[in-house]
Amino acid sequence: MNSGLAPPTNGSTEVYAVRLLKRRRLDGGTFEFTLSRPDGFSFRAGQRIRFEHPTGERDYSLVNGPAAAELQVCVRIVQDGQFTPRLARAAIHSRFDISGPHGYFIFQPATRPAVFVASGTGIAPFVAMARSGVRGFRLLHGARTADGLYYQAELRAAAAGYVACLSKAAAAAAAPPDAFAGRVTAYLAAHLAPGAYDFYLCGRSEMIRDVTLLVDRRFPASLVYSEIFF
Amino acid sequence: MKIYTGGGDQGRTSLFSGERVFKAHARIDAYGDVDELNSVLGALAAALPVQAAEIGPKITGLQADLMKVGAWLATSPGSPALAEIEALTTADAAALEAAIDQLDADLPPLRSFILPGGHPAAAWAHMARTVCRRAERRVVGLADAAGDPSRQDHYAWLLVYLNRLSDYLFVLARYLNHVTGIPDRMWQK
Repeated sequence: MNSGLAPPTNGSTEVYAVRLLKRRRLDGGTFEFTLSRPDGFSFRAGQRIRFEHPTGERDYSLVNGPAAAELQVCVRIVQDGQFTPRLARAAIHSRFDISGPHGYFIFQPATRPAVFVASGTGIAPFVAMARSGVRGFRLLHGARTADGLYYQAELRAAAAGYVACLSKAAAAAAAPPDAFAGRVTAYLAAHLAPGAYDFYLCGRSEMIRDVTLLVDRRFPASLVYSEIFF
Repeated sequence: MKIYTGGGDQGRTSLFSGERVFKAHARIDAYGDVDELNSVLGALAAALPVQAAEIGPKITGLQADLMKVGAWLATSPGSPALAEIEALTTADAAALEAAIDQLDADLPPLRSFILPGGHPAAAWAHMARTVCRRAERRVVGLADAAGDPSRQDHYAWLLVYLNRLSDYLFVLARYLNHVTGIPDRMWQK
């Protein structure tokens, strides 16, 4: 956020101890981590937890819905990072400290059609929304290759419309037959009919910026809710 | 961590309730003034004399209140996003009134207009008071433009709080001069 006036934090400052229960590889550099859920820890779909680690704080959106018995996050491993390699190597049952839930990226039911736009691990809050019963949305799922379309089958089943947008042109051949060859912005510019929508954007700042500016030009009566992965 | 995205480079920004608006929008003006007030309070806190060290936590509390005020102003009336924001209550305005009464009890009676200034912290308090009044005027404008009384209600607690806060800042300025032994300068016609 760069507004200078962010909403007051809604996250508890309480720190919870959790245990790493499971690690599942989603593609070459991204894992889903399953953590124990502390007693009394409640959250809403779309919110984040914060790892309180000696190397600093790291926020990750929860993948599961609020009714789940455990906590799950989707993390891309940064090879020269200070935290994610440790998480990737941590032994099962290792302890981590978290706080939360944090954030306001919550689905707001409205009469305008909802368009979810995700890139990379930015798909996480949308998986949580789908798992908590949100339906009727259109999802633009951006990735470089088909391997990066995490949770695709589950999301296809929940969405009213699902479009895989693959930015690496050569990858399109091995992609789902209905995949769009190009970035999510290119799809929005060419294929989403003009109108008023509720856009939910989650991903890297460059994608958020490009989609937001496109919305200003092409869909100016729309609402935009953003969750930026820095 | 980068704090910029560039999403506002063409003059628009997002409200907390999702709308994309020009940065010259009345709502942005209003929470911009609240943001400015919060910054001035930070300067005031940094300038507090040791004789008024007990005011520091109060200023921190006011700054936290103003974050809530800003979030509320960044959200359109009727938006479901309002459910995410904790509004201030009449108790917060009442707490300001109690603080005013407590500070005022130590002060000599005021018999004429005073010129803003004195101790640097007092000067910042006067500056904060005037920015607070500007923010209040912006909110009055938003409430007036809302038209429908039910939508005007969206701003009711803000108007009470900002009105009381500017009163508190005026008394605080006098208090800071008083405890540092600097007499208020009276306006000589």
